[in-house]
Amino acid sequence: MMMTMMMNGGEATEAELFLNCDDMSVLERQRVQLNYHQYHHPGFEPTLPCFFPNSSKMNVGEVDSFLPSAGLDLPEIYGELHGDARISVSPGNITTEFGNSKKRKFGCVDTETKVCNEKKKMMMMMDREVAVEEEEEEEKSKVTEQSTRSIMKTKNKAKKEQNSCSNDSSKVTKDSQRTDYIHVRARRGQATDSHSIAERARREKISGRMKFLQDLVPGCEKITGKAGMLDEIINYVQSLQRQVEFLSMKLATVSPRLDFNIDDIFSKEVVSAPMMNLPNTVMPPHMMVNSGYPHDMVNSGYVHFNPMQQVVTSSDPLSCFNNGQSATMWDSDVQNLYTV
Amino acid sequence: MKEEFLKKWQMGLQIYRPLIDNTSVSERRKAIKLSADVAMASLRKGTTCWSRALIQKTATEDNFLVRQMLSGIKAETLINKKLPKVMCHRKIVRRSKKILRRRQSRSAIEEVAAKARKLVKKKTQGLRNVVPGGEFMSNDVLLIQETLDYIVSLQTQVNVMRSIVDAAEAGSERTAYYLGKLKFAIEDG
Repeated sequence: MMMTMMMNGGEATEAELFLNCDDMSVLERQRVQLNYHQYHHPGFEPTLPCFFPNSSKMNVGEVDSFLPSAGLDLPEIYGELHGDARISVSPGNITTEFGNSKKRKFGCVDTETKVCNEKKKMMMMMDREVAVEEEEEEEKSKVTEQSTRSIMKTKNKAKKEQNSCSNDSSKVTKDSQRTDYIHVRARRGQATDSHSIAERARREKISGRMKFLQDLVPGCEKITGKAGMLDEIINYVQSLQRQVEFLSMKLATVSPRLDFNIDDIFSKEVVSAPMMNLPNTVMPPHMMVNSGYPHDMVNSGYVHFNPMQQVVTSSDPLSCFNNGQSATMWDSDVQNLYTV
Repeated sequence: MKEEFLKKWQMGLQIYRPLIDNTSVSERRKAIKLSADVAMASLRKGTTCWSRALIQKTATEDNFLVRQMLSGIKAETLINKKLPKVMCHRKIVRRSKKILRRRQSRSAIEEVAAKARKLVKKKTQGLRNVVPGGEFMSNDVLLIQETLDYIVSLQTQVNVMRSIVDAAEAGSERTAYYLGKLKFAIEDG
């Protein structure tokens, strides 16, 4: 019944074949069914065919050692390793724990949770399959980080590993082609209840994010507690918001016409002055400038009012006014001034 | 990121420029701030919760600006979208929790832990109040993620605005300086 539930018609026969192999553990049998989702994957690694043969246990161990290099090809590997693929969760065969973590992250495509739930009871390990929201790349990398971190912590006993990922099993929000399930193992000496595992995963996620926040918010290195950190974060966000208000007020007072020409602000490191049109009071000096007042100093300041393009020394930060782009804009503004 | 923000902000300000009756300072400040906010939020293109909430908030103040600033279709969906989840009424939740708590036995250790948890909860609630759209974030993980993104955006916004203000001030100071000099010279001669 499980077969028919899971398999397409054409592949049913193969599935039957494998399911009849008695030497395979229940777990592997279950996994086999899932492999056919990826059956048609290209990009199969040529080194792996040697792992095809029948005896499961040994190959499982060997395949494991290959996993770290396989990386994202893992699902395809599973597809090709007909039935031995699912690097098993059985104890004592795990050579690299790191490999396991990767396997677990990318493997186990499971579309029927019911089947898995049935199987779970029969499994030796306390496995839990946790649905993962389909992640973007960053999320995936974060999870691998977390999982590898947790792997590092664990003792070397095969039974006691943990691979924690998002716990939102009930909240698979995004519909993706493959829903990834992550096998979670309880750590040594900790409760194996599904709730507590999920909670622990959630807590680790939160603390991971808080670490990022610590880097962002200045002056947070010493604060250790969650409440203190949150306090700092709130204060920082509030201060940033206040700064925005204050700066916008300042900008409003500084420029009555809301026009800033910032073409050069980022091309040069120098703070370039915006194209500002000062109010009419500047008119008389402008005429003064034209009547032969000392040009050098004044022109550098009033160059934008001067219809004639004067070359100013480049050391002057206002020299940007003389750039080709600004020239055309200046002219129109100057004319505006004249007309006012 | 800064350049994009700047461009979008300029675009928003352009909308205000023809309205020459921005004569009062407060009008201009509002224009600046709103267009800056929408620019910042639109950079995220609707992927983060806070950006959507911020856009909806500014849409209540100036619908026209928001529509112009975002490209057509997206504006419609963002503005008309209903807010995701109504926050559960805190009072009711609190009361029911109190009733539950009465039944629990209190040990010394538990009390301390409970107090710590309470404090954390209070702070997270405070954070929800500060971050736009915080009340609609269902879990803490999401809240912290959004806060991270929001802080980064705020920082860029502040940096850009500050550099512009500095430039503007430098310009105005310099011109004011020369103005003063000129005036002085004129009066003298």
